[in-house]
Amino acid sequence: MKLLQFIYLILIILSTGCKPVDNVITLNIWHQMLYENRKALLEVCNRYEAENPNININLTYRETEELRSNYQSSAMGGSGPEIIYGPSDQVGPFSTMGIIQPLDTIFEQQYFDGFVDNAVVRANGKIWMVGDVVGNHLMLIYNKALIQVPPKTTHELVSMGQELTVDKDGDGKPDQFGLVWNFTEPFFYAPWLSGFGEWLITDDNQPNLDTQANRNGFAFIKSLRDEYKILPKECDYETANALFKTGSAAMIINGDWSWGDYRDIVDFGIARIPMVSETGLWPSPMVSTKGYSININAEGRALEETVKLIRYLTSDPVQLYYTQMLNTQPSSKTAVLSPIVTENELLRESAKIIEVGRPMPIVPEMRAIWDALRTQYQAVLGGNVSPDKGARLSQINAEKQIREMNEIIQPGLQARVIRVIVPMLIIGFVWFLRLRIIEFLKKFKSNRFAYFMLLPAVAGIFAVVIFPFIYNIIISLSNFSLRTFRDWELVGFNNYISVFREPIFYSVLVKTLIWTSVNLVFHVSLGVFLAMLINRTLPAKPILRTMLIIPWALPQYISALTWRGMFNQEYGAINLALSKFLAMDPIQWLSQPTEAFSACILTNIWLGFPFMMVIALGGLQSIPQDLYEAARVDGASDWQQFKNITIPMLKPVMIPAIILGTIWTFNNINVVWLVSNAGEPSDQTHILVSYVYKAAFNLYRYGYAAAMSMIIFLILLVFGIVFMNKTKATDNNVY
Amino acid sequence: MKNRLKTWLIFSFLTIFTLLTIYPVLNIISISLRTDNAFQSKSLSLWQFDEPYTDTNQNEIREADELFTDINDNGSWDKGSSFNSYKTLFTDTPFLKWVWNSFLVTLVVTLTGVVLASTAGYALSRFNFIGKQFTMVSLLTTQMFPATMLLLPFFILLSKLGLINSYVGLIVIYSSTALPFCIWQMKGYYDTIPPALEEAARLDGCGRFAAFYKIILPLSTPALVITALFSFMASWNEYVVAAIVLQDPELYTLPLGLKSFQASLATQWGLYAAGAVIVSIPVTILFISLAKYLVSGLTMGSVKG
Repeated sequence: MKLLQFIYLILIILSTGCKPVDNVITLNIWHQMLYENRKALLEVCNRYEAENPNININLTYRETEELRSNYQSSAMGGSGPEIIYGPSDQVGPFSTMGIIQPLDTIFEQQYFDGFVDNAVVRANGKIWMVGDVVGNHLMLIYNKALIQVPPKTTHELVSMGQELTVDKDGDGKPDQFGLVWNFTEPFFYAPWLSGFGEWLITDDNQPNLDTQANRNGFAFIKSLRDEYKILPKECDYETANALFKTGSAAMIINGDWSWGDYRDIVDFGIARIPMVSETGLWPSPMVSTKGYSININAEGRALEETVKLIRYLTSDPVQLYYTQMLNTQPSSKTAVLSPIVTENELLRESAKIIEVGRPMPIVPEMRAIWDALRTQYQAVLGGNVSPDKGARLSQINAEKQIREMNEIIQPGLQARVIRVIVPMLIIGFVWFLRLRIIEFLKKFKSNRFAYFMLLPAVAGIFAVVIFPFIYNIIISLSNFSLRTFRDWELVGFNNYISVFREPIFYSVLVKTLIWTSVNLVFHVSLGVFLAMLINRTLPAKPILRTMLIIPWALPQYISALTWRGMFNQEYGAINLALSKFLAMDPIQWLSQPTEAFSACILTNIWLGFPFMMVIALGGLQSIPQDLYEAARVDGASDWQQFKNITIPMLKPVMIPAIILGTIWTFNNINVVWLVSNAGEPSDQTHILVSYVYKAAFNLYRYGYAAAMSMIIFLILLVFGIVFMNKTKATDNNVY
Repeated sequence: MKNRLKTWLIFSFLTIFTLLTIYPVLNIISISLRTDNAFQSKSLSLWQFDEPYTDTNQNEIREADELFTDINDNGSWDKGSSFNSYKTLFTDTPFLKWVWNSFLVTLVVTLTGVVLASTAGYALSRFNFIGKQFTMVSLLTTQMFPATMLLLPFFILLSKLGLINSYVGLIVIYSSTALPFCIWQMKGYYDTIPPALEEAARLDGCGRFAAFYKIILPLSTPALVITALFSFMASWNEYVVAAIVLQDPELYTLPLGLKSFQASLATQWGLYAAGAVIVSIPVTILFISLAKYLVSGLTMGSVKG
């Protein structure tokens, strides 16, 4: 009894002793703010921490897409940050999935009344986000050194653009462009739709792409590039930005986020995107807000403190501080009236641009609309589809994707059958293995040493892999998708059936096989070849060997982006070299399907051969020199030596590397994703894994993606088993 | 004479090939030296000189009508290259902290990888036991599942175990991703060493483990080096898993830190590239210092001779 009292006493002391520590609450904010904005946010949060010593704020930055997918995973897992900050269009999917809280019941109406309409983000009749800035809109930004008065209409745009597109050194290629922008991306195209008289989504959230406006828009952009030639042939965001910053482009269409980047480099002015002369309508940039939402998992005191923090972060002084530091447009009705805002020249101009803007649609269906539009738009620009057909197809595809996205498969007979069959299968499997298990137990003693050596590694690997694997099998049999994010159920083989039914699966599969085999052939042959060359006595051998390893040493995501830059049609090093040394015409590496796919393969060959080279080097070292000497004495030629000594001796080391290399290449998403910018043009450069990624994280079809990854797994499993049996890789030594 | 010619031919071929190979790297270096934070440039040269201009309206920005001296001889005005990005990286960002965090994680992963792979590979190479074939195949199968689909279950698992924001989870995952290959690699190498060596040692009274540890392991240096190098690479440059496990900026590893310079449509290219250059230095150094062991083919010849 005394002992119990004693323990009780200690518990009390411990719990009270812990109290002061418990009092400090840590609030996590995940955001996707730009580099300069992050500094301002940190400053503001530091001030709040100083005023509220019991609050500790943790800021985590993730890039927009990643923020979205990471937040989904973490909220799903029952945790995640209290506050998520981002653009308003994430409200659509988040509120549908049920992973953020409606704010109506948490804040009072008066609080919401203090903001401009745009900044209070509603969906399905509830409020989900409060914005602290308004804008994110596209506009015409012009270099004042080249243009005094910006063009007001598209006619003026074309004539000024033609004047300003000049070939200074007379090599037949313009050195200065009238206009540049990331025109292949639909977000940067959308404003023109309203300039031609329509919008891409109807009031009841249906896609509206099969319109005359869309046809005219497609044709207009194409004519700017091909007919009037005021646009570069290939121009992604980074190219456009670099051209504008170096003064090689007179105008750029870009958003308010770019001001900070240009400020100290170009003397620039801003204006509306020019009015379409034929219709007399202004193009409407999408105007959105960025703001704060609250995690569904936040509750109790953390929730109370979260609410206080959001009030502070959206308050006038904080918004005005942002305006001073970053030229942002405040969302508070009172802050907008402050001289800090009214006397800011950029914001005054920007307000005129926002007047013709339209609010960014936030429904999750926008994902499908963007995606369908991107595919056809890029096909039209690539000259593979007519504007008419492009407009029609984009409408059909958007409708189809929305149907798939919103589909909820109800569990039926299949689900029940699976529930019965799976346990039976497991029991059957154990029964099937029973003799092996008994044998294993009998012989365990004699092989104890082997098991003891093997166990730590195997245990570690399987601890990490087993759960995710089983989880994926279950998901692939479920109806897990956008609408069933928090209450999915087992439904059966529907996902597998839809994978096999879609023709795109087969074309992507063929591409994946080409991708893997071409890469592997080059990796291995280049690797072994270089290793053999380097393995002899050479001057500067250590330097060469080290240099050749560098592609492997660099972080993949950086080198892949660099290669993308090198493939640029006008400025990329590859085309420059091709035209200089081989007198070839520039190749459109990134805007034609075959070329883009080749670009990905080239990049991956570069990335992958050093690995094989190192393995081969290690293997070559293990070949005793006296074998070669003996062969030479017997008069064997170089080729005979290679065939009869080098290859068989390299085999045990290279086979595992080849098998694994195949699997890694098959599943290498980085290169394809980064070099082709997520499957561009028109989703023609996907391999299976990148397609899986897109289905899961862009289109929210988790069940479908899981089924497809199970299929990938099975393909590789069959390959692995067949290949190993053929090469006897698991058999024992060469001796 | 014929041999020297051959050597020189090979040497020149390798030199050209190497130059082509490192061109993209030079490209990254030149981005890191640029001052306009742009990813692309029309110029192919690595270093650009600061070109002086007459600032007629004294706004410290060069306008098109202000004259300049074209030192770089490319027809356009250039703001010179500088090491500013590197300076900012070390003074204004927690770069050194990231380096330290990455170093810690990588060190543990490499050590674990070498120890576990060398023992497991040995068991698979030298013993015939029930489940061996199965183990070999299933090691391989762990690599077959697309990693992106493992992220969601990883997250759920780690947060249930309370391993979010902890290096333990990260280290276990990294070690496990590198291990299957390393084990195979080690097994392949052991296979080329004649078992007669241990048998002789066993006859001399060595225990099983001692025979492995004292005789076989020292002979396997090249494979161990590759294993170490590989484990190192698997964790040093890894981003995707780190991004779900580590959310506290205090714990960021290098790739996480570097990626934070990247934002959609507004990347800090200068810092990003400078960071990338520095990240690859340790790998290069590691390779240079390990190359010595890789080359030491001394063991095998002597043993079998």
